[in-house]
Amino acid sequence: MSSPATLHQTFVGMGALLVGAVLAFGATGIPANAGYAGVGPNFLPWVVAVVLVVCGAWLIWEARTGGYRALETPSGAARGDWAALAWVAAGVAVNAMLINRAGFILACTACFMLAVRGLRLSEGKPHGGPKGLVIDFVTGFLIAGPAFWMFTKVLAINLPGLTASGWL
Amino acid sequence: MDVWNLLLNGFAIAATPVNLMWAFIGCVIGTGIGVLPGLGPAVTVAMLLPITAQVEPTASMIFFAGIYYGAMYGGSTTSILLNTPGETGTMVTALEGFKMAKSGRAGAALATSAIGSFVAGTIATMLVTLFAPIVAEFAVKLGPPEYFMLMLLAFTTVSAVLGKSTVRGLTALFLGLAVGLVGLDQISGQVRYTGGIPEFMDGIEVVLVAVGLFAVGECLYTALYEGRSELQLNTMGTVHMTRQEWRRSWPAWLRGTALGFPFGTIPAGGTEIPTFLSYGIERKLSKHPEEFGTTGAIEGVAGPEAANNAAVTATLVPLLTLGIPTSVTAAVLLSALQNYGINAGPQLFQTSSNLVWALIASLYIGNVMLLVLNLPLVGLWVKLLAIPRPQLYAGILIFATVGVYGMRQSAFDLYLMLGIGLVGVLMRRFDFPTAPVIVGMILGPLAEAQMRNALSIGEGHWRVFVDRPMSLGLLILVILVLLLPRLLALRAAMAQDAAAKG
Repeated sequence: MSSPATLHQTFVGMGALLVGAVLAFGATGIPANAGYAGVGPNFLPWVVAVVLVVCGAWLIWEARTGGYRALETPSGAARGDWAALAWVAAGVAVNAMLINRAGFILACTACFMLAVRGLRLSEGKPHGGPKGLVIDFVTGFLIAGPAFWMFTKVLAINLPGLTASGWL
Repeated sequence: MDVWNLLLNGFAIAATPVNLMWAFIGCVIGTGIGVLPGLGPAVTVAMLLPITAQVEPTASMIFFAGIYYGAMYGGSTTSILLNTPGETGTMVTALEGFKMAKSGRAGAALATSAIGSFVAGTIATMLVTLFAPIVAEFAVKLGPPEYFMLMLLAFTTVSAVLGKSTVRGLTALFLGLAVGLVGLDQISGQVRYTGGIPEFMDGIEVVLVAVGLFAVGECLYTALYEGRSELQLNTMGTVHMTRQEWRRSWPAWLRGTALGFPFGTIPAGGTEIPTFLSYGIERKLSKHPEEFGTTGAIEGVAGPEAANNAAVTATLVPLLTLGIPTSVTAAVLLSALQNYGINAGPQLFQTSSNLVWALIASLYIGNVMLLVLNLPLVGLWVKLLAIPRPQLYAGILIFATVGVYGMRQSAFDLYLMLGIGLVGVLMRRFDFPTAPVIVGMILGPLAEAQMRNALSIGEGHWRVFVDRPMSLGLLILVILVLLLPRLLALRAAMAQDAAAKG
């Protein structure tokens, strides 16, 4: 009799439990050397691990007995638009892949184009074809470019460029 | 030097052209991000943390405080015109403000919230001026056991008391504590939870978690669930209050300030409680109760807005005097101070007196700037709401990259940011609070150090926490804070039962 909501909530509880278990496994490798304090560097890790395991079990129990308590209905649609999410996530991932090779401006422009496409998809609007791509490229460039120049030239924050000129 | 001289000295530093410029830019950015949905002050300050490597501490704290403040002013504009509160603190403003705007009185609602924010912010800054040095003087006497108890109190209130569900609050808090564990142990230098990844040796930056949870998480959530949600923008009209509206606003502003300030100073976190309380009180006291929830009552905007700003200002008291952040933004400000190697705490008033007083003086100045920015110029800010959502959120990702990558030039951090963003989506979808994660990760290592120092003082005995009267008092307070709401709820349930039977 498990509805999708019960199942999802159980998974989230299992996630918390798993994090706790991983932390506990890690805690076994931390030496105690407590010194005068009586508790050492492994004390808090054990506390955190145990509490997270308990919380995970508690969440699973809540999920199996009528669902999370005092749960606010989340805003937005009931079903997720996973394709849109994939586009946006791909944008961030591509940014991470390109930033050291193509420089900040181009990597961020690519990220912007992918993310805009995903967000527009989620609104059910067409992506605008080749012309749309050009517009998105220009918009992204016009945000990433000035941001890059402002942060690197004015605030001297270290961001990677494609060329050594400091402008691209 | 007495407070007056110190404050004048602060004004002298804050009013230099360079610092005035930082305050002004901070106020402008703050108002802008307050108006824009999807970005809050915490994540904005987090994204801009890399500037701490270049800008001197006083200027950057003035800048960050301007952002924190400005976001509160700007957030109410969005609440009134769009009914999507930018900040949790302006949620209540949306209740009456949006109703007022719908019945054509948006101008009055905007005016009462801007002027109310100014009145509350200025009074609260005066209170900070008077009380912060006293608290700091007192706090010097606290030892590690008392500090640990204060932090425990902050953890308890931020996770277990404020949220709707204790277990979800605790899960969030301990996730934050777990993140805080990664890296070198402060006391013994022991390496923990790095999994052999060199990037983890320095620990996980708060920028990364804040930007991942809030900016990237928000962007992913919007793509996943909010695409079809339609937003309706109210027309603004002229920003103006009639004589009667002034008369109705004044007492509400003052009551809101009186309510908001104490809530900001105690480690109970957040502006939600005082704003909701203020709304309830105004509704009860109003001579026009019929307007609440129907055409919109001006008191319902004036009171909560004042409470919000007073509480935000008051969070500076525990932050500066004890080094304990009671809101997410305060937590990020604390990590900004840490970047400079400045320890927030009672010594701050002695060691960094100039910084503290310049910061306080800049709050007075910032409030005036924000009043000017928000009253006559509100029409300009509203234009920001015309930016289409896809471009807005995709643009936020670019600035997220600046903040996260700019911190230590590692592409690895960007992947991690995406992962944390996905966790943020889950947390939002399943109604987990996010503030405890940030407070936990920043306060966790500090609390651990205090606890172990306290135990060293007590030669390994936990008794040290109950032997010292102050520490014992705080421990009792923690227990009360945990138990009282539950006992009250139980009593209410029993009374209801009895009423149902009898």
